[in-house]
Amino acid sequence: MTAATVPAAQARAWHLPRPARLLRLELRRNLMPWLLPLFAALFWLATYRPAMAAPPLWDTRGTMLQAQTMLAFAPLLAGAAAWAGSREGRRGTGDLVDVTGLPRWAGRLAAWAAVTCWAEAVYLAGVAVVYGITAHQATWGGPLWWPIYVGAATAAAACAVGFAAGALTPSRFTAPLAAVVVFLALGAGAFALQHGARPTYSQIWPLNAQGAFPPDAIGIFYPYLPDLAIAQLMFVGGLGTVALGALGLPAVSGGRWLRSIAAAVTVAGLAAAGTAVGLAGTARLETHGIVIPALHDAASDRPVAYTPVCSAGAIPVCLHPAFRGFLPDVTAAVTPVLHELAGLPGAPVRVTQVAVTTVAQAPSNGANLGPPILSGHPAVLYLPLSDVSLPGPGTPTTAFIGELRDELPPLLNSFVGLKVLNQPGSGGIIAGPSSPGAPAQIAVAMALAQDAGLLNPFPVPGNQPRHGNGSAQGPQATGAQAQAAAQAQAGAASRFAALPAATRHAWLLTHLSALRAGDITLSEIP
Amino acid sequence: MNIEITDLTRRFGRTWAVAGVSLESGPGVVGLLGPNGAGKTSLLRMLATVIPPTSGKLRLLGSDPGGYGPRRQIRRRLGYLPQNLGYYPSFTVAEFVEYFALLKEMPAARVPAAVAAAIERVDLSDKARSKLRTLSGGMLRRVGIAQSIVNDPDLLLLDEPTAGLDPEQRVAFRALLRDLGQQATVVVSTHLVEDVGAACTGVALMDAGKIVFQGTPDELTGRGVGIDAVGDAPLERGYTAVLSAARAEPARETAQ
Repeated sequence: MTAATVPAAQARAWHLPRPARLLRLELRRNLMPWLLPLFAALFWLATYRPAMAAPPLWDTRGTMLQAQTMLAFAPLLAGAAAWAGSREGRRGTGDLVDVTGLPRWAGRLAAWAAVTCWAEAVYLAGVAVVYGITAHQATWGGPLWWPIYVGAATAAAACAVGFAAGALTPSRFTAPLAAVVVFLALGAGAFALQHGARPTYSQIWPLNAQGAFPPDAIGIFYPYLPDLAIAQLMFVGGLGTVALGALGLPAVSGGRWLRSIAAAVTVAGLAAAGTAVGLAGTARLETHGIVIPALHDAASDRPVAYTPVCSAGAIPVCLHPAFRGFLPDVTAAVTPVLHELAGLPGAPVRVTQVAVTTVAQAPSNGANLGPPILSGHPAVLYLPLSDVSLPGPGTPTTAFIGELRDELPPLLNSFVGLKVLNQPGSGGIIAGPSSPGAPAQIAVAMALAQDAGLLNPFPVPGNQPRHGNGSAQGPQATGAQAQAAAQAQAGAASRFAALPAATRHAWLLTHLSALRAGDITLSEIP
Repeated sequence: MNIEITDLTRRFGRTWAVAGVSLESGPGVVGLLGPNGAGKTSLLRMLATVIPPTSGKLRLLGSDPGGYGPRRQIRRRLGYLPQNLGYYPSFTVAEFVEYFALLKEMPAARVPAAVAAAIERVDLSDKARSKLRTLSGGMLRRVGIAQSIVNDPDLLLLDEPTAGLDPEQRVAFRALLRDLGQQATVVVSTHLVEDVGAACTGVALMDAGKIVFQGTPDELTGRGVGIDAVGDAPLERGYTAVLSAARAEPARETAQ
């Protein structure tokens, strides 16, 4: 054989050092290129379509690239790596490989590295597609890299676990089994996160981007908190290290020193994974993300400076520039309510978007997010968009406007003086019409809601509410008496809503203080 | 001496595959003959450092392969073709040979020329870019031989290397063996006595885990002269005569 018969690409690679050439060979003769169409299909189904249906926010799409992509990719990667790892056993080359000078651990690491390089290339190609499109669509901010780091580390760990399974238990069934086991493990993590008695520990699961926090509320008003991502990197890095270390433990893997190093690597991996789980146990939900005290940087608590975008109008609606595209829809949703209140004492002079007003950990890894609140002098309506589905291909604009308007009736309640329980999850339900003036306040709130086209916040008992937005009836007011009271309120509300807007506004201007004080009765409502 | 073994044994469960073998060999080609189950492959695997001996003394290329460091040194200077060659179907001939050259820790600069030379020596130059899955059994055997000689080994162990080769290739392979034996110790385990006669400078005949004859092919041929031994060729008659004598001796001892 002469040099002329050697493939040109091989000739080009001859100047490479030995490990690089070994890796190059493994890369060229890898199973992964054959799986590219499958990866592409999974990516399109699991990530691309949902991401493009989601609002063009960097954090929303970044977290999808961590969670959805890895849920689809990790099992397949583990299976492909297990197939590569079991190659020597399946092909009967164990004796041949054993009698070479290179420690078997090193040879196996080269094969794992090749699978992992392909895995990372596939994953990063997906990231490039989604982030490339997002760069054209987003109105503010830049790529979020922490979820990508976790996704990339998860891919490497899935390859390591699968490869170790294939190498240590070589069989043609190892690859599908590894894929199924990784898929079930990911499912078990999600289950633990949703149903665990203490979901804090299961926050560590690598598909969990920011716990129950809505993705549109992280990394926008405050810097993205990397606490959980750091713990997750430690966890998946530790798992992968354990798997790679285990490859070097069998006697055939190398000499005593090498196996000692492999044992140390395994122990280090276990320690890293264990520490990460322990850190996750200290995680707590705060208004700008999940905080792990030992990993937390106080600098992340400072809000991100931005110039809001505002609508023109008597009461401007101001949004974060990342949400610029939704300004017309948000304005359309809140304008009827603002119109009802404009010029009255305590009416908001501005609507300002905030991340969340309040947040609390709910059972089963849920988060209770606070509703819009009216606060300050002069009053400002603080409006979070975190608890509503933002418009996009998956959510029509009308649905978004409807969801946003559903959050507004409690504002009217508080505006007319009803005591609103601003507890997360209460839906802004009032404490109960126990005060003498409460029926009139309820009637006016109902009338304003009706005129603004909102849900009736106080449906008459017996009538089906349009949504389960609660009822104002106190626990003691039941039966016929309650129904009669509610019908009286509804009658007064209808009467008041039927008035011309100017008349209604003039009456409110003169009677709002008395109404808030509970000094107005139902019969006094015009 | 490249091979020094004394009272070497290897047991698998209750079976003694190798039951006390002593052998010394320097450069040259040694044919390892014997019937099925004689222990040839087990002896060869011990020489290749695939499996450790159960007892006995083993020194290869001047070192004891019991320790990892010396074993690694030996392996760098070793070529081995197992009886059942495993291969990776998606690799090309050149890639497969290069892969093992790299695993054998050859200096990187030497690899390209060594790969080309090894492939040429087994007459597969025109198939260098062919995937292994497209090759015939005989060609795959030659690929196996190429990977075993790619590092210019000082100790080459070949288990049934000519199985599946056509007559023309076997003739070429014998020439290759003679050439390799000029510098290295080549141990060829085979059933084909004509290969031994044509290529080997020494021969060891194994039966029931023991070496029952050790000498030159001519000496083995001489054992069959004047005896009513089975065989079409003189060397075959020597082979069967030695085996018959070896098997008769324990029976005679038992009878006494």
